[in-house]
Amino acid sequence: MNFKLAIKIEEKKEKARKVPIEVFPDPKTAVILTYQHAGAPNVPLVSVGDSVAIGQKIADSKERVSAPVHSPISGKVVKLGDTYNSCYQEYSEAIFIENDGKKTKDKTLKPISESELKDTSNDSLIKRVREAGIIGLGGAGFPTHLKLSPPSDKPIKYLVVNAMEGEPYDTADERLLVEKASNILQGVRVIRKILGSPEVVIATESNKIEAVAKLKEVFSGEPSTRIVAGHFTYQDGDSAQLQKMLFGWEAHPDKRSYERGVIVHNVATINAVAKAVFEGEPLISRVTTLTGDIKEPKNLLVKIGTPISDILNHFEIDQNNIQKVVIGGVMMGTSLPTTEAPVIKRTSSIIVFSKSKYKPLKRRTDCIRCSRCISACPVRLHPILIFNAIDKGDIEKARRLYMKDCIACGICSYVCPSGIPLAGNICAVPRH
Amino acid sequence: MSKESSADLVVSPAPHITGTMSKNRLMLYTFVALLIIAVVSTVMWWPVTTPSGWSLGLTVALCSLIAVGVAVGIDALLYKVAADSQLNTMSAAVFGLIVTLSYSLGVPAMRSVEVLPLEAPNAFLYVALISLIGLVLFKKLQGLLGRKYVNPAATAKLVVMLPFFNTILIAADHLRSGALGVPALAGPIGYSVINNNGVASFATYIFTSFANPAVSLPPTVTSSDVFWLLLVQKYHSWIGGASSLAVIIVGLGLFLVARKYIKWRITLSYLVTVTLMALLMTAIYGGDPYLRIGFELFIGSSIFLAFFMATDPATTPLTGLGQGIFGVGLGILTVLIQTFMNFFGGSILALVIMNLTVPLLDHVGIHKPFGRR
Repeated sequence: MNFKLAIKIEEKKEKARKVPIEVFPDPKTAVILTYQHAGAPNVPLVSVGDSVAIGQKIADSKERVSAPVHSPISGKVVKLGDTYNSCYQEYSEAIFIENDGKKTKDKTLKPISESELKDTSNDSLIKRVREAGIIGLGGAGFPTHLKLSPPSDKPIKYLVVNAMEGEPYDTADERLLVEKASNILQGVRVIRKILGSPEVVIATESNKIEAVAKLKEVFSGEPSTRIVAGHFTYQDGDSAQLQKMLFGWEAHPDKRSYERGVIVHNVATINAVAKAVFEGEPLISRVTTLTGDIKEPKNLLVKIGTPISDILNHFEIDQNNIQKVVIGGVMMGTSLPTTEAPVIKRTSSIIVFSKSKYKPLKRRTDCIRCSRCISACPVRLHPILIFNAIDKGDIEKARRLYMKDCIACGICSYVCPSGIPLAGNICAVPRH
Repeated sequence: MSKESSADLVVSPAPHITGTMSKNRLMLYTFVALLIIAVVSTVMWWPVTTPSGWSLGLTVALCSLIAVGVAVGIDALLYKVAADSQLNTMSAAVFGLIVTLSYSLGVPAMRSVEVLPLEAPNAFLYVALISLIGLVLFKKLQGLLGRKYVNPAATAKLVVMLPFFNTILIAADHLRSGALGVPALAGPIGYSVINNNGVASFATYIFTSFANPAVSLPPTVTSSDVFWLLLVQKYHSWIGGASSLAVIIVGLGLFLVARKYIKWRITLSYLVTVTLMALLMTAIYGGDPYLRIGFELFIGSSIFLAFFMATDPATTPLTGLGQGIFGVGLGILTVLIQTFMNFFGGSILALVIMNLTVPLLDHVGIHKPFGRR
């Protein structure tokens, strides 16, 4: 335990963590952003007027770091146009598909059975993961097939299943653990096969009681598998922080984790891999938590491309009383300028703050030099010094202070007694 | 598709929640801690009456009201008349209490070298003056520089003392000759007069200087007498240092409550350095090491400053190593000033000097980020 970093952030998960996953109805019009991953943007493969089936690939790229997107419904392409992209915080290209209600399925990805797995080549499994459009669903959005193909001279010793879900409010991963633990086991087996049977370490927060019990039950017979359920903090969910907790080493920020023989995958990503392999379903839906200042929080299995406004309307959430809508976690997520923005692959939660309950954040005052941001930073940066350098326009100095190592966890802003938007300003500067 | 107009959604960078600690809350905690110390001094000193006829405890209470009143009042006044002055009531109140608690009161008959009035009603005037100068010059005007470089309360007190500085410095000669009856620290100190270092022993000096004036000098001053005074009950000293024990308890309590928002490294490194410096001085001059350590650590100006002034966030270094060096420098300077300038209470001069090194100290201790070591 590192006492210095033990910052307690109220979890606010009590209600939502007990709510079973509910299937949200398909949208009348799905809005699928073509660019949802980290890497090179996609180009559309369909035109207005085309008919598409559920799971049909509708946008892709020839670049290495990319992942395709698929139609979540069957129907007709009615428009190609821009809509708000919550992960890039800008308007970007989207494909609008009108639902024909026929639920016609695309059959490109053929499901395989568990017994067929050992006879399936790794290359075809990796290709399948790419074709299914799977990306890191914990928020980073890095294409998963690339993480499954480390250089051959770097043997993988550990597969870490990141089930921390440290963000307050969010419970989507926790419900996946409770309800889909056997899917996750299947997914782990696939990834394990691809990576050459590394040891499996499942890391989760010990207060996810139901989930931990379920994991122990489902994974009990699995060889060389450990479940680590500890008293972790929010920032331990970061891949590098998690490795430090589990293995004691500090991964170099410029190096990929396979250099140390580790691959970290989020549980939702692993669930998506299992679906792609054993059900033949590409990544067209995900579980997201609808929570915040609403009476009954939900965990929703929602089609990617469903407008957020559809979800708010469906649950009769008074949109005139909404102050802020946060996507992907209150610590690291973004706030929406419009609820017409659709759910994307990385939408792990939708957190609604109402006008009636909204308390403004701290009033911004001058820095009192308490140095709390420095002692709190999990990657040992000097947030206030970087902030001051940026403020003076001295980006060179900010770089020398390792600005690019910032993991955007938001802790510095959270602890600042003067309400200075440290993380916001540091993250707003391009990394390189 | 949607029936609302979502034009008025608030968009702001992450994070979208914030911790409970705010500047005002931190100031409130500090204020409460200081208030407890002021109350302890008021109660402890209540029965003592000075020649001017005032209760020493009542003087503490009134000084606190005056200093806080002046600071808060001027802060509010500036807020009304100056366009860009911020209203910082809590911060001004904390400042007022620090001004009071770093002011010395006592009975003039006590053998001591003091330049500012020790008793009411003149003490009221000086406390008000320090509060006024400190707030206007060193809080508000200095604040216009973008940040504060020197501790406002310490600097204001030094400024007010400036006309009397001759007395302090000249006194050094007198002191060494024992003219004022105060033994010099630049010599052996102990329970008996050693090597003509003063006209009375250092232990006697401590007793006559700090004990309840109503208690007469015992034939021999014992070490338990001395340490009771230094640790638990002094009747003359910085108001905030009347009870070192109270300062330590309240100070540690504040560290715990306002956890990680207070630069405890400075306090720790200062106290350790002062102890080591006292040992060094004993090695040079001889005498009783415990007596010297006790005096250097627990006189009001040392212990109160260590917990409540040296940790002022605005005028101290940002990095952990910087804070450690700051505390070490402060400890070395304090002992040197007290020993060689005979300026007891010289810790505020040491503090202001160290404050000025902070822009340099902010360059040390910049550590490598996670994974780059």
